[in-house]
Amino acid sequence: MMGLTDAFTLVCVVAGALLFLAGTVGLLRFPDTLSRLHALSKADNLGLGLIVLGLLPQQASPMGGVKLVCIWLLAQLSAATASQLIAGIAARRKPQA
Amino acid sequence: MPESLTLTALFVLLASAAGLAIVLRSAIAIEKLMAVQLLGTGGAATLLLLGAATAQPALADVALLLVLLSAFSCAAFTLGESEPPQAATKPDEPA
Amino acid sequence: MTAPASPRQPLSWPSLLGRGLFFFALWLVLIGAAPKDWPVGLIAAAAATGASIPLWPPESRLSLTGLVRFVLRFLPQAMVAGFDVARRAFARRIAMKPGLVTYRASLRPGMAQGALCAVMSLQPGKLPVSCAASGDMRVHCLDSDASVTAELAADEAAFLRILPGDRSGA
Repeated sequence: MMGLTDAFTLVCVVAGALLFLAGTVGLLRFPDTLSRLHALSKADNLGLGLIVLGLLPQQASPMGGVKLVCIWLLAQLSAATASQLIAGIAARRKPQA
Repeated sequence: MPESLTLTALFVLLASAAGLAIVLRSAIAIEKLMAVQLLGTGGAATLLLLGAATAQPALADVALLLVLLSAFSCAAFTLGESEPPQAATKPDEPA
Repeated sequence: MTAPASPRQPLSWPSLLGRGLFFFALWLVLIGAAPKDWPVGLIAAAAATGASIPLWPPESRLSLTGLVRFVLRFLPQAMVAGFDVARRAFARRIAMKPGLVTYRASLRPGMAQGALCAVMSLQPGKLPVSCAASGDMRVHCLDSDASVTAELAADEAAFLRILPGDRSGA
């Protein structure tokens, strides 16, 4: 017998995992470096966000949940900045990518 | 529940590993840097899932560390790259 | 909360104190609330506050309602961006036309423009590539045919509402 919270967790976590798969498929199929960067930064971070969302009801303490959300926020922040830095390098090396 | 979380963790790990294999095969240095990003998010997701499956909250700390490391390596790579032409930031400025 | 005093302008202590408390709270959440660890957390919060001064001057302020509206706008878009990439990746045929689009931002280069670029890199199909001193941004788009410029302008307008009165960035 599966409770409602467990069902929520499973749906979110599986959706997150599928987004990771989408990121990898994008890396394989997208035509140029910058497009592959799109796949990496967007799909994977949404995947991480969905997994964090799904794990929230499973936390023993509310503090653990806040910590998970903080980890996701930091990951999102660093990924947004980093993908833009990487894109800057890519464009500088190859002006018309 | 723990079994399905572990299975999902395995799935994410495999997807990230396949992505790593694709990116690391490329000859372009930037795509290799993308591997660091991939390792950061994919590794963090795997660790969080495993931490929830095995009820070990300490794994969340490891996930945080992975995210931090990938952010730092990207910043370091960019600083080393952008010094010669029109550096937007002063080289000695803490990033 | 110690912070190196800037020679140019007097520091506003209340805002610095609030910032330090915020960093300390973040530290408590991430590391745990055991009192024996607090000294390390206080040092870390002080260091973070000191590091934040050159990046985000204490005088600049944020509009809270603007921030809330911005987050409400940005979160769904970040989700759409992820699903958009997933849809393209799983499509039977890769249907996209990647290209660079130039967009003239009204923000001057600096912290605010950097933040704008970071936010835009999470929007569907867009990835800022470079920001010139004139405010020209080059944005890489998965679909360079789409009405990118209008979307970018709308995003920037929403972003500007966070910074009341301070459009110079700095």
